[in-house]
Amino acid sequence: MHSADAAAGTARQRKWPSKRRVPVSQPGMGDPHQLFDDTSSAQSRGYGAQRAAGGLGYPAAAASPQATFLDDPMSNVAMAYGSSLAAHGKELVDKNINRFIPVTKLKYYFAVDTMYVGRKLGLLFFPYLHQDWEVQYQQDTPVAPRFDINAPDLYIPAMAFITYVLVAGLALGTQDRFSPDILGLQASSALAWLTLEVVAILLSLYLVTVNTDLTTIDLVAFLGYKYVGMIGGVLMGLLFGKIGYYLVLGWCCVSIFVFMIRTLRLKILAEAAAEGVPVRGARNQLRMYLTMAVAAAQPLLMYWLTFHLVR
Amino acid sequence: MTFTLYSLLQASLLCLNATALLHEERYLKNIGWGTDQGIGGFGEKPGIKSQLMNLIRSVRTVVRMPLIIVKSIAIVLLLLFG
Repeated sequence: MHSADAAAGTARQRKWPSKRRVPVSQPGMGDPHQLFDDTSSAQSRGYGAQRAAGGLGYPAAAASPQATFLDDPMSNVAMAYGSSLAAHGKELVDKNINRFIPVTKLKYYFAVDTMYVGRKLGLLFFPYLHQDWEVQYQQDTPVAPRFDINAPDLYIPAMAFITYVLVAGLALGTQDRFSPDILGLQASSALAWLTLEVVAILLSLYLVTVNTDLTTIDLVAFLGYKYVGMIGGVLMGLLFGKIGYYLVLGWCCVSIFVFMIRTLRLKILAEAAAEGVPVRGARNQLRMYLTMAVAAAQPLLMYWLTFHLVR
Repeated sequence: MTFTLYSLLQASLLCLNATALLHEERYLKNIGWGTDQGIGGFGEKPGIKSQLMNLIRSVRTVVRMPLIIVKSIAIVLLLLFG
């Protein structure tokens, strides 16, 4: 009887599609020319009771007339309008996205391959033997990271950041301190520190009037390299306890310190100083202090962001 | 102590507000940081102090109008959601 009623309701709905308030089938035996839905039927009463109970009646009642809802010409028009609206919005976003996020510039930073990533990770853990830290240029634009190990990239920092959040969750889980919102808190905290660092360094670069070609995205890339050391430290801390954590973190801190100094020296300091000739001007001294401060902040932050994860 | 993005946003709003409030005549001139004082010679590069004064002045000029809007939104949201 229910299916017969549903069929009768279906037929009636196809005749007067725009008058429905609730997409519930009409098994009622009312007048075929009625203008409004007959909500006094058994199913609607059941639906009303369910709604009073827990608000779950709507999807249950809408399941049966679902086919009728989609067949409805009005809803076809509505769907067509909605999809045209979405296409228009997408067009607008595509046109204007380059104003807010420099997509083409970002693509440069993700042009990496496996060899580059492997060598760069090796460089991050052991930068002591690398001789030539200059980024090669090709007709005034820096070469893509795929071809030059010294070029900054955003792939390693992005992956390392996500891995850090996951490893933090793992570490907290082994100590029974895990809950899902902790992941968001860790990510937010690390991002907040990163933002603060970037703003502080940009501010100090402005105050010291250094003319560098160090863009903001470059800076984010360099500051993101410390997450690799942090992950190493926390993983060793999970495997071997506090001793392992301190050993590996100490090693990674020193490596990042040396890496940052050697990389930033070329970007911030004047050409003469970069070639190893100590220039005794006040300007260069200030720049040297700035480089040392940036590099020294890395180990501090590495410790600060990980010490609460290892017990 | 969780230092989240939200607290960074709050802190930056408060700092920007504080910078925008620095009154030119009553305060900055008295400590020698007014905009017509201490601009160095044309040839040499500006020192840190003049860069800072420039920064404060430009922040105050640029930020004043949007800051009013952002502060009103913040007041309304904090009243509603605590």
